[in-house]
Amino acid sequence: MATVGGITVSDAGIRFRRNRRSRRNFKDLFAGRNRRTLASEFWALRNVSFTVEPGEAIGVVGRNGQGKSTLLKLVAGVIIADEGTVDVHGGVAPLIEITGGFVDDLTVRDNVYLTAGLHGMKKHEIAERFDEIIAFAEVGDFLDTPYKHLSSGMKVRVAFAVVSRLEEPIILVDEVLAVGDKAFKEKCYRRIEELLAGGRTLFFVSHNEKDLRRFCTRGLYLDKGQLVLAAPIAQVLAKYNEDYGVS
Amino acid sequence: MAGIYWFVFTQIFNRSVEGEDPYIVFMLLALLPWTWFNGAISDSTRAFTRGAKLIRSTKIPRTIWVASIVCSKGIEFLASLPVLAIFAIATGAQLHWEAVFFVLALAMQFVLTLGIGMMVAPLVVFFRDLERAVKLVLRFLFYASPIIYGVSAYAKVGPEFHYIAAFNPLSGIFSLYRGAFFPDQLDWFTIAIGAVMCVLFFFLGLYVFKRSERAVLKEI
Repeated sequence: MATVGGITVSDAGIRFRRNRRSRRNFKDLFAGRNRRTLASEFWALRNVSFTVEPGEAIGVVGRNGQGKSTLLKLVAGVIIADEGTVDVHGGVAPLIEITGGFVDDLTVRDNVYLTAGLHGMKKHEIAERFDEIIAFAEVGDFLDTPYKHLSSGMKVRVAFAVVSRLEEPIILVDEVLAVGDKAFKEKCYRRIEELLAGGRTLFFVSHNEKDLRRFCTRGLYLDKGQLVLAAPIAQVLAKYNEDYGVS
Repeated sequence: MAGIYWFVFTQIFNRSVEGEDPYIVFMLLALLPWTWFNGAISDSTRAFTRGAKLIRSTKIPRTIWVASIVCSKGIEFLASLPVLAIFAIATGAQLHWEAVFFVLALAMQFVLTLGIGMMVAPLVVFFRDLERAVKLVLRFLFYASPIIYGVSAYAKVGPEFHYIAAFNPLSGIFSLYRGAFFPDQLDWFTIAIGAVMCVLFFFLGLYVFKRSERAVLKEI
């Protein structure tokens, strides 16, 4: 599995503290173990193993809070598993959080260069694609507006436009596209299909059955931090509906 | 800044540290590198909190966020060297061949600052009030390091004091910088201990950073 675009996840697990916002400070270091508030921890994901072949399109389903986004973050490499391993062969173009890797105070233009640059594109390469990206995002008039002043729909447009133009073999798409309007969504989907045709690997999280069936060949069904089923998408959706679907 | 120190120490106190004439050059040789160290460490306390969003969604080696701070402050330091040159020319200070040790001092300081930065940056994420504690320690270090006085001042207090002070790696680094204009400031014992300390700090920093990396990514 050394081919570019493949992903191997074996026994991956990650835990978080439930009270992560609880105030901890320097003084606690000297306070002794019993006086500290014991952090209750839970496993967001555990014993998750699966393999993705290059060029596959994987749909991830599960209810809210069952570890879908966490799994994507693990694949993107922006968090590190506490146990097990996540092997990703090739770069990842992540569209995970609405804000992506975008800096609020920078302008749209700077953000495009920053994100593309962080994914290893040369300056002249970005310049070549810049117009295309902006045209796709339909934000031509707001090039020099700080990113934070854009509407949430525009933010997603910019993010998707940039991320889908990156030269990375793996693409992750979280539920962010839900914000876009119908026409833009359709445009994005066409773009995704183009990318799939070009042999990219896709990881797609959605609650929309129709979309999942449209793109994905295989599905992963996550529940309570466990991988319940990894099978062809129709089978996975059937199982999901059986467990939680409204009938 | 340098002007204020010069005024306070040479004009008000009318102080002349013996053999260290012109004092302004003597002091700048340690004050400018100190500004680099001070700026880089206090900025790296905010390395993760400031760019949290970007760091949360980018997969480049996380040490880069600290290294970029150390480098940018280092470049600021190099850019401030002409100030030193101007004062050196104006006061007619004599440049010696020992100036080649400048490069060694730069390397030592880079390693040391990176090491401490890598230690401080992740810890601040867990203990927010560490940011203030670091500021306090830096203030203490300013007076505890040979900046407004020379390394030789330690030896005058007593041999055991000289020995202890050698474990402050900044002593050795500043001693090397000063060798360029004041060869008698080179204290090879202090420098050797300082070099070992720099490397120790670097690996300790790397260890702390690697240990806490996954927890930091969850926290920010």
